[in-house]
Amino acid sequence: MPANEETKGKDVFGDFATLVVPEEHTKSTLNIFMIYMGVLAVVAAIFAGSGLAQMYDAATMLKVAFIGNLILAIYGGLIAYVGGSTRANTYMILRYPLGRLGSLIGNLIVSAIPLVVWFAVETWLFGLTVNVIYPDNPLTSIAAASIWGGLLMMVTAYYGFRAMAILSYITVPFWYTLVVIGFFASVDLAGGFDKVWAARPEVIAPLGVGITYVVGLYASGSVITSDVARYGKKPWSGAIAWAVHVTIFMTALLFAGGVMTLLTNSPNVIVAIAQIGLGVGALLLAILGQWTTNDNNLWSAALAWINTTGKLNKRVWVVILGVIGTLIAGLWAGLWGMSLEPFINFAVYLGYFIPPVGAVIIADYYVFRPLVLGLKDPKERYKFGPGTKYPLVNVPGVVAVAAGGAIAWYTQQIGWGAPVINGIVSAFVVYLALIVLMEKLGISWGVGEWVESSTGF
Amino acid sequence: MANGSIKGKALAYVLVMLLLAAITVVIGLLIKDITYRGYYLTLTLGGIVLFTSVIYAISIKLKSSEDVKGIATSAIQALWVSTSMGLGYIVTANAPYFQIPQAYAIALFAIGWVMLLFGLYSLLKLSKESGVPLAV
Repeated sequence: MPANEETKGKDVFGDFATLVVPEEHTKSTLNIFMIYMGVLAVVAAIFAGSGLAQMYDAATMLKVAFIGNLILAIYGGLIAYVGGSTRANTYMILRYPLGRLGSLIGNLIVSAIPLVVWFAVETWLFGLTVNVIYPDNPLTSIAAASIWGGLLMMVTAYYGFRAMAILSYITVPFWYTLVVIGFFASVDLAGGFDKVWAARPEVIAPLGVGITYVVGLYASGSVITSDVARYGKKPWSGAIAWAVHVTIFMTALLFAGGVMTLLTNSPNVIVAIAQIGLGVGALLLAILGQWTTNDNNLWSAALAWINTTGKLNKRVWVVILGVIGTLIAGLWAGLWGMSLEPFINFAVYLGYFIPPVGAVIIADYYVFRPLVLGLKDPKERYKFGPGTKYPLVNVPGVVAVAAGGAIAWYTQQIGWGAPVINGIVSAFVVYLALIVLMEKLGISWGVGEWVESSTGF
Repeated sequence: MANGSIKGKALAYVLVMLLLAAITVVIGLLIKDITYRGYYLTLTLGGIVLFTSVIYAISIKLKSSEDVKGIATSAIQALWVSTSMGLGYIVTANAPYFQIPQAYAIALFAIGWVMLLFGLYSLLKLSKESGVPLAV
């Protein structure tokens, strides 16, 4: 039994938003895997493959996608293990490397704000896709489809982890099989695999460019792996599930999207499936894929808001955030036709600071606490429960995230190296340099104190 | 409910799915010379159900009758895959791309519905009787 189990609080917010997950609520590795697969099962993942098709031939695409996803598997897997080991979500974990007040800001940057924006964007994309497949029905106009789509996505997030898992179980095998069928059908119609291996863009980019592109696609998602991994039966359940799904299936989806772009100049698997006479299949693919991804966005955002405000329960937050996101998608973009660019730009800007947060978690949990503070047992490194004391601000953590985010943003502006990786490495180094130095010099790196209440806040 | 009965039921549910999948693969073999696309479709969807059902049926068979939770967990996992593939048959059987002759397409479509409805029924029944959640 983990040490944290001894200090359970009252789950007043739902889905153990501010508490460690009790033993009796843990799930199998397969269950965790299905949730991750459900999140990945989104058409946007296939679309991302078209970026690789602008740079490489099919064989190189496969290599680049695999290496990039292997890096994500390690990065996200290390963070997932922290969640599996402590059974705490991302926002609770952040109380240690950023401090209690720092974690509130971290929550806003990592999930609370960007995930609502992405929820709105995905909901609008859902409306757009449904409208492409069935253009001549009032219920499938972009605005209407965005609204009923947003409501569908809110349902499973409202009922929580268990409902999301059930949806993933029915969706995931069907979704991936249909994508494979659509992929092979479009290759078949375009002239077969001989054409795939022969197709190539005019200029081949260096491998590093593509690897960076792949890492950048999912680096932010890798930081919140603990939200799901904390439900794992074993500490490593989430890490293994994450690593397998991202290395094998993310690679396959990128490859499929890339190959379809090389052959047809379009990565749109939905349209390809509709073209082969699978109208209903294409619609289900769009609905189910977007649903299993976006309910997770909403659910994680709700957890983040609870951990930021300490007010209202998960279901109320799901409704509030879901309605905001649905209105942005359905009215702002769908009905009034206004651009989502301002929202997306803001989320992308915040996105520079998300991977450095993951770097600080890894540095704190795997290096600073065991090697400098001597906390060898992984379960002893982070403790939670009523009465637990946290520093208000972990100064090196906040400085490292700010520095990492700024470096990622600046190197993006000047086109130097790989911005996402620059941000991760910088935050990792800055955090360790500062906190180890302060610890050795006897300077307090934590400012103030916050005592956890019986509700876990 | 007796433990032996759960094991028997779980095994029966998984074997029904195995049988339905086997019929679809046989249909695939019958249309092999007419449409290679339809043949590959049944080989993919039916093959996934056959493979999953065989593995999980062996796993259930090897479990002690007392291990209700373990039996139900295995059966529910297998049934989720089969049910999902049933949905696959429903949406693909009649698609023009696969060029499946109408009589066979209708048969595959109907089997898809049987797999979906039987799957949902058996999932709910097993979950209720064993106490193992559907989101296993």
